Amino acid sequence: MALLQIAEPGQSPQPHQRRLAVGIDLGTTNSLVAAVRSGLSETLADADGQVILPSAVRYHADRVEVGETARVAASGDPLNTVLSVKRLMGRGVEDVKQLGEQLPYRFVDGESHMPFIDTVQGPKSPVEVSADILKTLRQRAEASLGGELVGAVITVPAYFDEAQRQATKDAARLAGLSVLRLLNEPTAAAVAYGLDQQAEGVVAIYDLGGGTFDISILRLTGGVFEVLATGGDSALGGDDFDHAIAGWMIEQAGLSADLDPGAQRSLLQAACMAKEALTVNTSVDLSHGAWHGLLSREQFDALIEPMVQRSLKSCRRAVRDAGVGLEEIEAVVMVGGSTRVPRVRQAVAELFGREPLTDIDPDQVVAIGAAIQADTLAGNKRGEGEELLLLDVIPLSLGLETMGGLMEKVIPRNTTIPVARAQDFTTYKDGQTAMMIHVLQGERELISDCRSLARFELRGIPPMVAGAAKIRVTFQVDADGLLSVAARELASGVEASIQVKPSYGLTDGEIARMLRDSFQNAGDDKAARVLREQQVDAQRLLEAVEAALLADGERLLEAGERLAIEAQMQQLRELMEGSDGLAIEQQTKRLTQVTDAFAARRLDATVKAALAGRSLNEIEE
Amino acid sequence: MGSPCHFALFDLQPSFRLDLEQLAVRYRELARNVHPDRFADASEREQRLALEHSASLNEAYRTLKHAPSRARYLLALRGDELPLEVTVQDPDFLMQQMHWREELEDLQDSADLAGVAVFKRRLKVAQDELNESFAVCWDAPQRRTEAERLMRRMQFLDKLSHEVRQLEERLDD
Repeated sequence: MALLQIAEPGQSPQPHQRRLAVGIDLGTTNSLVAAVRSGLSETLADADGQVILPSAVRYHADRVEVGETARVAASGDPLNTVLSVKRLMGRGVEDVKQLGEQLPYRFVDGESHMPFIDTVQGPKSPVEVSADILKTLRQRAEASLGGELVGAVITVPAYFDEAQRQATKDAARLAGLSVLRLLNEPTAAAVAYGLDQQAEGVVAIYDLGGGTFDISILRLTGGVFEVLATGGDSALGGDDFDHAIAGWMIEQAGLSADLDPGAQRSLLQAACMAKEALTVNTSVDLSHGAWHGLLSREQFDALIEPMVQRSLKSCRRAVRDAGVGLEEIEAVVMVGGSTRVPRVRQAVAELFGREPLTDIDPDQVVAIGAAIQADTLAGNKRGEGEELLLLDVIPLSLGLETMGGLMEKVIPRNTTIPVARAQDFTTYKDGQTAMMIHVLQGERELISDCRSLARFELRGIPPMVAGAAKIRVTFQVDADGLLSVAARELASGVEASIQVKPSYGLTDGEIARMLRDSFQNAGDDKAARVLREQQVDAQRLLEAVEAALLADGERLLEAGERLAIEAQMQQLRELMEGSDGLAIEQQTKRLTQVTDAFAARRLDATVKAALAGRSLNEIEE
Repeated sequence: MGSPCHFALFDLQPSFRLDLEQLAVRYRELARNVHPDRFADASEREQRLALEHSASLNEAYRTLKHAPSRARYLLALRGDELPLEVTVQDPDFLMQQMHWREELEDLQDSADLAGVAVFKRRLKVAQDELNESFAVCWDAPQRRTEAERLMRRMQFLDKLSHEVRQLEERLDD
């Protein structure tokens, strides 16, 4: 094989196969998968032509049923059918009790603090249930696109905290999906609209889904989406409208509120149908058992008004956080099925003083945007100037516990990520040799009102008088919004750090068991899968290095350095033909090592070139 | 990696007068080049470097685009010791501060949203004037001590505008 491949500038060194990547909207009520095909982002349908997959999972003794049939079966088999599982993601047993006055499941304890739902197939964590939905979407995409996926962009509500994000990533891992990026749902919607309509200026994304509400204020400028502020409510959505109608029915029919799970389900289904009917009709007939009644749209509007007002309040706060005026907002994008409710559209139009945009199907717009981003991240480059960049923010402040049970913010909410920030603390007792670092998330002052993310201890501080030690705590949030924290005593250099593993995540033991189970269930050969993953990793690296050499090898490398890199590449190519996974992995690492310095030089050069206001190509000329 | 000067990162000379529009354009241009999303396919080390570059770029942008933090940063660059909290020797301003605060308390007591809007506009005018004074002062080396005093005033008004926002949020409940 030739060591040097020659290609025209701007072309890939080898005819590049398009890398298949999808965008997934893992929703509370419905989930969707979309992909970019022939330059167009579109949702993918199942064999029956259905695009929407209801987020319903029914467990049978010997199989798992996902989607519409499971949803329909919910009232007949409430204990084994899980709906709206997204509301349980990353939640502890206590949270769930607070949330779910109307959750008809039997919960059992697991190894971690996560609530497990007791089903005929044994206890299922919300992560496993979500993974079953993701698996169905993955299979649909692979069948529809005709190949294996490189990865997926999965959307999450902007308001999701660390635990909920981590749980979503765990679910993807269980479903055998490589996560290219977790993307905030409103940002995804903006991507869909921004590219299609070349919008510029400040826009608001009002996203009222089944279980969550998000508001985001974004600035769009030449392909860069800058999130100015986000806000919302992770427990407000169309499901609450259903509950409001169901509550009204219980009251009108004089039923006891303490219904059995089956009756609860059928009541909620009737309520949901009534809500949908009221989008077009001004009243709807309802019945439950012997009771019949009529619900007018005015009555419905009154029932949901408190929830609509709650959403508007979040909007006003986000606009303030963004530092813009309501009048500066040039477009309001509607996302989520619940924005079909006429009262919602009307209230939003009144607040922003303009009609909201509803051109793209509000149920599909998030998946469509996610697919566009997935396509870019998978390395299917767009033309110059069309390249997308998302500058996201953290939705909630991150901080530390300080004296007196107070939360000291280290990174305030709505800070652009990635971000790294350090804060110095000191000891408060003479001779203190250890310090507890308690990482928190939230906006309130008292730590009891914030969410505890992690605790760890910095030990081995040399004994000094109180206040003499200087402990620097560094927070780093990556582009997915995931946090790691490190603490270091500056005089002695002792260190401790933690990748924040939220308290309501799964334990490693649980993840291992679930992965094992999923391999068995899928009849998958683990070794073969691992080998395939290593081959894919190796191939990715080879392609990246090839592209880098082609672009900058001449300019940034000595002849000897280049030869060394090429020798390692050749060796990796040869190993990839074989089936020794370990050898491939080791060689991949070796190649990474020899290209480290090159990588650093390239990044520096890129920055310098950007500073000079010119692209690399121009410098070469 | 030492941290380069925030201004140098944007290829700018340290100065208080800044074309914010141009700064934003530069920022987006740089962010585009170093954001980790561009390195989704690259080696681990490249991803880590991108993360670090991106984080320091974000930090620099945040510091420079905001007038009070920009002023503070300029003074720090010049080597002035600048503890966050000091006893301010600025009696005129102290009087004015008290007036501002009393007014804000009255607005809270009367839950007067329209009044808050007027207050905000006045505050904005005061901030703009102060920014201009700082800029003038910064350009004249012999007026150093004054620059620091003006920066303290800027910080106070900044804090006040945060309080106004919190008040708006409370009144919105």
